[in-house]
Amino acid sequence: MILPRVVSAEWRKTVTLPASWTGAAVALLGSLLITMLNAYAVHADPGGRAFVAPLEIAFTAMPLGTVGATVIGVSVFSSEYTNDRRITTSLAAVPGRVLTLAAKAIVVVLFIAVVAAVTMPLTIGAARLVIGETVSVPEAVARCLGATLFWILSGLIALAITVFTRSGVVPLVVLIVNSSLVSFSLLLSKISSLGFWLPDMAGRRLFGGVQATEGGLGTVPGALVMAAWTVLLLAAATAVFNRRDA
Amino acid sequence: MISIDGLTKRHGGRTVLSNVTFRAEPGRVTAFLGPNAAGKSSTLRILLGLDRPTAGTALVGGRPYRSFREPLRTVGSMLGGSGAHRSHTARGHLRWVARSNGIPDRRVSEVLERVGLADTGRTRIGRFSLGMQQRLGLATALLGEPAVLVLDEPANGLDPEGVRWMRGLVRDHAAAGGTVLLSSHLMSEVAEVADDLVVIAAGRVVAGGPLTRITAGYATLEDAFFALTGTGGVR
Repeated sequence: MILPRVVSAEWRKTVTLPASWTGAAVALLGSLLITMLNAYAVHADPGGRAFVAPLEIAFTAMPLGTVGATVIGVSVFSSEYTNDRRITTSLAAVPGRVLTLAAKAIVVVLFIAVVAAVTMPLTIGAARLVIGETVSVPEAVARCLGATLFWILSGLIALAITVFTRSGVVPLVVLIVNSSLVSFSLLLSKISSLGFWLPDMAGRRLFGGVQATEGGLGTVPGALVMAAWTVLLLAAATAVFNRRDA
Repeated sequence: MISIDGLTKRHGGRTVLSNVTFRAEPGRVTAFLGPNAAGKSSTLRILLGLDRPTAGTALVGGRPYRSFREPLRTVGSMLGGSGAHRSHTARGHLRWVARSNGIPDRRVSEVLERVGLADTGRTRIGRFSLGMQQRLGLATALLGEPAVLVLDEPANGLDPEGVRWMRGLVRDHAAAGGTVLLSSHLMSEVAEVADDLVVIAAGRVVAGGPLTRITAGYATLEDAFFALTGTGGVR
């Protein structure tokens, strides 16, 4: 089998790339920092109206993980097109475009899964430690799995979009703004129900818990819609990558 | 053996290559000589499966490059510079390349030794000089112990000692039965190293054959080159 070998090569490329660790650090340290700040605010006023359960506190910080996943997804591809044009070496080594992109997608999935597996228990643990409430393990596990899926799909969408642009700048700016400051699909959902069908709005119930915005798709249909977007974008990216000169 | 047949490449309305045909034989160094933007790199990129031709074929041992499962074990290539991410070390870069083609890790140390980069340790490639980047590009090409070497302007950025070393390496490879195709715009360099010559200008092959035959009737390769390409031939 040639795929495991190519995945192994892509994995090595990714873990030796500083941008990958920037993405991991944003997800881990960012989530942890926000959680701690919010948890201390609750801790300071346990009887107050601001009381929120540890899980809710931890999951409020999860959009930062989406930012981290986006950085990882973008940089896995954009790193091929810096001044030194590593893409020529990559495609000389592995001429199959589908194989190359498949290996990159697998690495994005694995890397984000590892980041999620470290970040989420730590974040929930920190919130629990500060606030002192107990956490329902089954609920925590279900929500962590859902959020991990959301991060992974976000990372793959970022990867696919970067295939079109080659440079990482535009996808990074657009996707980070979208997942941290203003969600374009959230804005769209205010004026048209079409907004609920865009990837991030469709998948948002994967985080579980109370939603700030009512309406839209349920957890499972939403996840399927987000996954369908991911598959569609990756398929289009593969077609473009396959036809385009390196 | 490398065989290029009727290669044509158009970008929009612009014709970059027009019916380019030539061979590079085992045991010989074939130089691909032409002015800048004549189509040398375009030809090599198509040969390496990076770009698609509009028409024609480019084959290595009768096969298109993209059909090789472990291409680096047959063809080693260098297309200008290191082809590596600046944040990697030389060793880090070569290790992923080796892994992608199932090449044992020990080859990484061997080629680093061979190109004189064994002492670069943790230095990142972004801090390499042009010559060191060129040496790393060559190390990548040699990694899979390929029979065929395809080198685009290999002498670029090398100091005189480096140029001499490169010449020796290329000659040794051909002497051991390997095929070498190297592009250059430096006639002095080509005159020293090549057995066969393919001269390209404005996307067309204007002459091809043994070096001695092409330069026959001219005082120097330089004179032959200007006469054949019809460029800047101030005498």
